[in-house]
Amino acid sequence: MFDLLEKAVDSAIASGAKYSDARILNSKSRSINARNGDIEDFNESESIGIGIRALVGSSWGFYSTYDLGNNSLINSGVKAYNIAKASAKVPGKEFPLADVPVVEDQYTTPHEKNPFSISSSDQINLLVNSTEEMKKIGSSHASGRLDFWDTQKWFFSSQGHKIYQNIVESGGGISSLSIGDGETQIRSYPQSFGEYRTGGWEVIESFKFENEIERLVEESNRLLTAPQCPEGTRDLILEGSQLALQIHESVGHAIELDRILGWEAAYAGASHLDLKKLNKHRYGSDLMNIIADATLPGALSTFKYDDEGTPAQRVNIVEEGIWKGVLTGRDSAAIAGVDPGGMVRADGYGRIPMVRMTNVGLLPGKSSLDEIIESTDDGVYMETNRSWSIDDIRLNFQFGCEAGWLVKNGKITDMVKNPTYTGITPKFWASMDMLAGKDEWVFWGTPNCGKGQPGQVGHTGHPASPARFKNVRIGVKG
Amino acid sequence: MRDWNNFLQESKKYIPKGIECEIKMISSINSLTRFANSHIHQNVEEEVADIYLTIHKNGKTITLNSNITSIESPKDFIDKALVEAENSPDDEGWPGMPDAEHSFDGHKGLKSRKPEERADKVQQFIEAGKDLNAAGYCSTSVDNYFVWNTNGLESSDSTTSAFIDGIFRTDTSSGSSHRGANSLEEIDSEAAGLEAFNLSHDSQNPEDIDPGKYEVVLGPEAVSTILIFLGVYGFNAKSKIEGTSPIQLNSQQFDEKLTLIDDPFRDKSLGFKIDASGSPKKTLEVVKDGVPKSFFHTRRTSKELNEENTFHEIFGWGDSFGGIGTNIYLNPGNSTKEEMISEVKKGIYINEFWYCRVLDPITQVVTGLNRNGSFLIENGKLTKPVGRLRFTQSFISSLGVGNIISIGSESRFADSEFGEGILNVPMLHLKEFNFTGGVSG
Repeated sequence: MFDLLEKAVDSAIASGAKYSDARILNSKSRSINARNGDIEDFNESESIGIGIRALVGSSWGFYSTYDLGNNSLINSGVKAYNIAKASAKVPGKEFPLADVPVVEDQYTTPHEKNPFSISSSDQINLLVNSTEEMKKIGSSHASGRLDFWDTQKWFFSSQGHKIYQNIVESGGGISSLSIGDGETQIRSYPQSFGEYRTGGWEVIESFKFENEIERLVEESNRLLTAPQCPEGTRDLILEGSQLALQIHESVGHAIELDRILGWEAAYAGASHLDLKKLNKHRYGSDLMNIIADATLPGALSTFKYDDEGTPAQRVNIVEEGIWKGVLTGRDSAAIAGVDPGGMVRADGYGRIPMVRMTNVGLLPGKSSLDEIIESTDDGVYMETNRSWSIDDIRLNFQFGCEAGWLVKNGKITDMVKNPTYTGITPKFWASMDMLAGKDEWVFWGTPNCGKGQPGQVGHTGHPASPARFKNVRIGVKG
Repeated sequence: MRDWNNFLQESKKYIPKGIECEIKMISSINSLTRFANSHIHQNVEEEVADIYLTIHKNGKTITLNSNITSIESPKDFIDKALVEAENSPDDEGWPGMPDAEHSFDGHKGLKSRKPEERADKVQQFIEAGKDLNAAGYCSTSVDNYFVWNTNGLESSDSTTSAFIDGIFRTDTSSGSSHRGANSLEEIDSEAAGLEAFNLSHDSQNPEDIDPGKYEVVLGPEAVSTILIFLGVYGFNAKSKIEGTSPIQLNSQQFDEKLTLIDDPFRDKSLGFKIDASGSPKKTLEVVKDGVPKSFFHTRRTSKELNEENTFHEIFGWGDSFGGIGTNIYLNPGNSTKEEMISEVKKGIYINEFWYCRVLDPITQVVTGLNRNGSFLIENGKLTKPVGRLRFTQSFISSLGVGNIISIGSESRFADSEFGEGILNVPMLHLKEFNFTGGVSG
């Protein structure tokens, strides 16, 4: 494969590009959806192709094709160059690429059981049995899904990188939807839209769907008759997967350097963060320590090199509440004058690599969920995301969860439905006063992060444990 | 075309008798020139040739898809599908495949556009904004779609599209605009740039206003957001099957001014004229004078609900998604933008919504924000720009009886959270819209 990549890259350089790199990907995926004991979709797909980047002046040109024939490869390099060159009609300021070590290496994400070597009928049966059982015991609409990816990447650059990586990812989940009089309620496990990690079939086995089926159905049915979440300002206790999404939306996207530099302003948006305030801006309370770490074993966004050949690493983003770091690529890091963090990835061979969250997570505290509840006089505990919305600079957010419970005088009391909360990013994070510890720290994974034009779907990780936030606006209604 | 013919002829040799088989291929060249900080920073082109193979055998169904490079041979691909089909459970919802009489011959040898042509459009957009900071994209696509099945259907279609979408920004404001058409020549990027510039320029230094219920005048992008949510979560027959659709056919659910037509054959409409099954699409009355008339069906949903197929199966989205309209037109009214604004005593002009999410599917209560140009309207005039507002509003109620005051007289393709070129809409003047939060939360 490296021979093929070299042809394309050499062709781009010979055409006049000042830098070029290319990736060949062989991507396999399997996706299974079930509803009420029946399989709705079983889709298995595979693709092989090349994506080549050429830097000319101030613009990247990118060309991708499924055709790996000799002429096509040479043509790909020329096309990437010509596409970049056409950008000179509307040029910007030229920029260097930040230096990174040039390596030849290979890496495979640790996994015990490759999901593609497991019989698809075993995978199908798990979903059929789980959703059939949920339907049988009272779910109006029981659903489940499993997704597996096995991606082989060969990366070559005009600077001499030669890197092979094999990334194996697995995940899925089950849900019970209950339909009442003009309303629906849902409970999901392990989290809404499923939980995803690097690893094999053992990831799915660890979920033990069978232990959660009864609870999901009972809770989704009970929510139909539960009182509405009361409106008001109260203490908010978030379970880990909801906090993971809170981190994703109000921290992860805000610290993407391409957004801060305005490169994503027209679509995904910009950021409320200003680089002049790096190392000074208070992002949250002293309990807030955020990392971006692509080296955490088993987390969804774990790899050894990003799609520019930069080594995976751990970067401190927020230390004791102070903003310290950003997510970077080689171009954006050089422009901003910071170190490249190895955070650039692409969704397949057909997409240009861009800044992507790695495992952006909140380091654990020293408390526990039980202690948090015991020390709360008047609050709401919320579990599992149901809706999420945040403005384009990542300040004003509103989240809805599947289920809530009132917390009175240190005890969980009534279940409440349609719990929502809203806030402003730095004010919200400044209100975090209790944080559960390492025993409850989970590497939550988000497999559906949209960004870029043309659109790309990213896989990101978000380690988190439950936490409490003081005086949050809760129960917003339409 | 050559790839398709070669693949199909070779595949036919290995399809066993007595099974149902469907083979599809999409081949595309998608190009996109992206600009930010008023210069082109990314410029991409992708060539795609993907094959989809569905086999239904002994009551079991399997779908495999691969790009053409990863298929070692059609024989191997078909053999693999036959083995996987054995592992699949019984498919009681199998709806069958369209017959030969549904065949459609629409293939044309269309060419892709050059990056220099897109750069020209970008340049025109940026120059319309004088010194303001521009960002956005100009895209062009050529798509070819081929379908064959063992019932004898052979369909093909080809289509091109072009879009420009961009914003201008100041330190305190932004304004956006969008245009779509079949060809790049039809895109007036200067007009789009000027529209975005004016919105950004005029909305500088916005002021906060109190949340609450306001009369609103909505730009085409804001209108398209409401309609695409109703399309995906309401009129999608899959939602009806799952019990989450709020749509009640043949009841006066919406204001009588609202008429929605899904019309893939209207002059200058975008996209394929066939659905993913290879059947020709139809013109469908979705809402007539405020009364819902039909869901968007696929083969599977029409079978499950025992209703006529409306041919809204979406290529590549899978059976679990259901169907959505791809050529939705909101019938225009008689009001100009100026007339709509002049009729408002106190309200808000919203150019675009952002990051909308459903809180409750049955009532279609959605939360989201405004962006890229919002203004307070007082006594018939835009009086000042307003900052970020969060709304929490039922989209069903927003178009309910008595809540549509007027509909704009001019329509255009508007962007949506589920893609561009799907909706062609005018502006809307609504009596009441619920804003639940401002800049301070």
